[in-house]
Amino acid sequence: MPGMPTDGGGAIVPFRREPGQGTPSPPPMRPIRHGVAPPIFRVYISWSSGNLLQVACLRPPNSEVCGGAEEVAGSVVEVNLGCGSSGGAEVEEEIDEAEMRRIEYGSVPAFALLQSRKNALADAAAMSRMSSVPDYAEWWQYVLEYSKTIGNLLGNPDSPAFMIEDPKTILKVREKPTSLRAAWELLEIFYVDKQLQSWLPERLVDWLADFDCLLSAKESTVYSKLSNFQKKLINLQIVEDDPDYWNGLSAALSVGWLDIVVNMLRFHGSYQLDQMDNRETENGLVEAVAVLVSTMPRLRPNLPTGKLGQCCKTRPDFVKAWEKWRGQVTKLECSAFWIQCGHKKTCDGLKNLLHIMMGNIKELTASTSHWLELFASHFLYIRPFTVGFEGMHHLAQKCIQLKPSSGTNGLTGLVIGVLSENPEVVLAECTQNFGPWLVTHAMELLTADNDYADTMLHEERPNLGGISIEELHRIVYAQVLCSHSLTWQIAPTYLSSCLNQGLGLLEILLLKQPIQDNRLVLKTLEICRLYELENVSANIMKIAGIYHWKHGRKGAGVYWFQQAHDKVRLDRIAQQLFERIGKSVTDDSFKQWEGLLELLGPDIGSAGGLEFLHRYRDFKRSLQQALDGRSGEAARQTVDFLIQLMRNPSTPQRFWLPLLHDSVGLLNCKPSPLMNVAETTLLLNKLQELSLAKLRPDFSNNHLPSHALSSVRLALASNLARAILEDP
Amino acid sequence: MVLASISLRAQTPGTLNLQTSVMADSPSFRRHPLAASVDLVRWLSSSAASPSERLLAAAIYDPSSGPAASSIHLLPLSDPTSPYASLPLPSRATALRCSPAALAAATSSGSLHLLPPSLDSDAAVAVPGGAGFHVGPVRGLDFGGEEWVTAGEDGRVHAVGGGGDGRLVARRVWDGKGMVGYEAARWASPAEFATGGAGCGVQWWDRRKGDAVVAQCNGIWGRGIVTGMVHSIDINPSRKHICVVGGSSGTIFAWDLRWPQQPIPLSGVGFNGTTEPVCESEVWEVLFDTYTQSSDIISSASSKILPVMMCSEDGILAVVEQDERPLELLAEACAINSFDIDPQNPSDVVCALEWESIGVLTRGRDTMAEE
Repeated sequence: MPGMPTDGGGAIVPFRREPGQGTPSPPPMRPIRHGVAPPIFRVYISWSSGNLLQVACLRPPNSEVCGGAEEVAGSVVEVNLGCGSSGGAEVEEEIDEAEMRRIEYGSVPAFALLQSRKNALADAAAMSRMSSVPDYAEWWQYVLEYSKTIGNLLGNPDSPAFMIEDPKTILKVREKPTSLRAAWELLEIFYVDKQLQSWLPERLVDWLADFDCLLSAKESTVYSKLSNFQKKLINLQIVEDDPDYWNGLSAALSVGWLDIVVNMLRFHGSYQLDQMDNRETENGLVEAVAVLVSTMPRLRPNLPTGKLGQCCKTRPDFVKAWEKWRGQVTKLECSAFWIQCGHKKTCDGLKNLLHIMMGNIKELTASTSHWLELFASHFLYIRPFTVGFEGMHHLAQKCIQLKPSSGTNGLTGLVIGVLSENPEVVLAECTQNFGPWLVTHAMELLTADNDYADTMLHEERPNLGGISIEELHRIVYAQVLCSHSLTWQIAPTYLSSCLNQGLGLLEILLLKQPIQDNRLVLKTLEICRLYELENVSANIMKIAGIYHWKHGRKGAGVYWFQQAHDKVRLDRIAQQLFERIGKSVTDDSFKQWEGLLELLGPDIGSAGGLEFLHRYRDFKRSLQQALDGRSGEAARQTVDFLIQLMRNPSTPQRFWLPLLHDSVGLLNCKPSPLMNVAETTLLLNKLQELSLAKLRPDFSNNHLPSHALSSVRLALASNLARAILEDP
Repeated sequence: MVLASISLRAQTPGTLNLQTSVMADSPSFRRHPLAASVDLVRWLSSSAASPSERLLAAAIYDPSSGPAASSIHLLPLSDPTSPYASLPLPSRATALRCSPAALAAATSSGSLHLLPPSLDSDAAVAVPGGAGFHVGPVRGLDFGGEEWVTAGEDGRVHAVGGGGDGRLVARRVWDGKGMVGYEAARWASPAEFATGGAGCGVQWWDRRKGDAVVAQCNGIWGRGIVTGMVHSIDINPSRKHICVVGGSSGTIFAWDLRWPQQPIPLSGVGFNGTTEPVCESEVWEVLFDTYTQSSDIISSASSKILPVMMCSEDGILAVVEQDERPLELLAEACAINSFDIDPQNPSDVVCALEWESIGVLTRGRDTMAEE
């Protein structure tokens, strides 16, 4: 929008800085260095790609008089908006921009592959409705593969650390997990992985083990308890005297981190060689508890290496093992050895652990901190057979009542949304806390095997302008990608998966790309080629052509016009050449337009009068040689070219006289005639035609000397005379 | 960007396997994310500055760092994510070339920067862009033993050499006045070099004949077009009369000066009777591959073109050979903008990937046996 400058303070647009209380925060100001001298006539502002703003400042067109030749008449500056102050999504604080871009790039192939599989299945289903049903039943496996690929991008919590671990390390040193990965895994567990659905409680326990540290930054968690104790551990002489030792043990046990519990039990003072003899019973009790902990039955198919417990694949197996194990726990609890144990803190601590293993709700509530931890401990010790979302949701509500947490974290909100079987809530939590990347990619997980979510996300809504929620989120994500000059190239993948508005937006995106750099233009054109957008690519080439032409790179301009098959503009260029040739045929200008002719190439006929121009070029070149070298051969050839040109109907009439005038010198200097009678007669006829045409009002003047016509006539006449004489 | 082609081609179930092979990297290929766009990448010849470590030079563009967006980073091969040194540039690098005498970079604003073998960025010398040198991007850059040649999109060709007192002196060889735009330049001998550009094919210049073009070839372009854009030229030092040229529409052809009117197609779309095209998009760079043995050893002394490595916009890194099936080394999901073969250890290849990373490929004898 053009704005007129005002008088006040050089500001283009009137802008009042009011100190009034009504305005809560002043609008952000950005000084722009445009380098244009003060009287600024117009300012144009337009969006460039992404969040770049282009501001053009122009001086009044007639002000050169006072300025002088070196003054800049105007300039265009680019302003990058939105540096640093990106949206408040939690993810962006945790993951830096470059890392997020790495994730964005990495997820593109997986997304594209899944979409293509979806399309292939849809096509197959359309072709034969019956046979495709079994294929579709395995759809979730494709989604699982997709989910695993993307999960790996988000960081691998099990990545092996190549270091010798200190035996006193409680929590393994590893890269800090991100909440983005936690959210992704959670969705995968609940929505995609059908194979492990019956072991859902144990999977939640595993999930909590990986991501407990993310649950709360301020409030205490099992993880924070253990890491605090770890720091303290170095300075402790007698660990079993410290209450934090036992607190840590019970906390770790309640959420099922059995390996950590066993490892920590081995720190117990009674294991030290010099104390073995005095504390034999005590040591026996510690060891007995450690054995019981490490043999706890788990209803799951397998355990990763390093984790403890005995796996039971089926329910009957588990029940049998559970009864036996519980029996052993109870037996130990009632054993008489406790009386012989001299260390009271050890006795209390170990008994506490036994109570946790026996599923004592009071102990479990006391030893856990966050409601999700309490939730997990229920699965481990009280209700190992919990199935179904309804039961879980009830349990979660109960745990929240017992352990109310001050603020809801994105992850806990997500868990509640999932358990309440409410995809809308899940989607809203993802949008709010994890940003557009997660939403766009996680929608595939939500719809993997959930008909309700499928309908909800794919239904076209009039209030969204006729697009579905899925498409809306993809478009939002594509916009985010477009706003960065390095990621815009992956936006087309997402836009092309949007059926309603994607293609239109893709065309706008491609047309908005900068055309200054040939390589970038070629990258844009490659995308056009892949999506078969011939019209867009032709338009981009034309825009690039005009840009280069205007900036004096005539070669590049013509190249792009030719690539775009832009006959109209190539004809215009040819017309310009005509004009120039019409005005002057001096040798200086000849060199200039010869280069242009070279560019227009041998593609004769592609652009109107170019055929003539090529022949004319050949004629001029030959004429030059003939006049320089004065060899008979060159002269003869020149005359041949001349005759060809004059005979050719594509030669415009206004060039007849200049052509003939150019050859006057040649005709006159030769002792013997160069043309025979017939040729000379042809030229004379043309000359006659020209003289008649001169009387017509539309005749164009050739800027030739007034005697041109007569000198040509004289030369031709003398040539004719000599030709007649020589003619046998 | 091959992704769209995946989704288009995936209608036929067989092609899906291709994608899974793309995702799993072979152990001989390592990817290093750099957190900024990598436009060009080259191996540095071993220098006194770092005798023990092999170094890479990469042209980096990071739009988020404001005025310091463009630079040349020198990266140790063992850990390419932490630069050993860097040289700031006034604008995005458009050409990068390494010689024993210096590391040279040309930019999109028409300047040329030389870094001495000591790799000390304070000792770097430059020719600023502008009316006296180049206006706009300089894509052609090469060292001929005595002088650097630069060829720009503005149609100018310069020879740049030392002025004796440590300064750089640029001498204009030719000014095309925008009628032509050059995209590539390569020396054949200290007196001859080749240039190529948009719509003008390849030119052969001879300095002994008054700095003039002595031979010209429009090239052969696929898809029925009469002209294309040359992106890269390479000349094998052992056969100085043959240029190999890569450009638009997956076109790779060889030009033998002894038969200047008959370029030899190596790959391209729509060439009847020749080998299948290795890619259909822009071929960004070509280099003679000294590591791959010509399959036809007996007649290798004859006119057969030596194997050529290429990288393309659709993510292909491959070795093409006359009348042979191309050997695909990488098929990435994003463009490969640049690559370089280590001159001292030609089994190692480094490439710049569009998605802000570089890849290092180590070829063993077994990869040769596969094909």
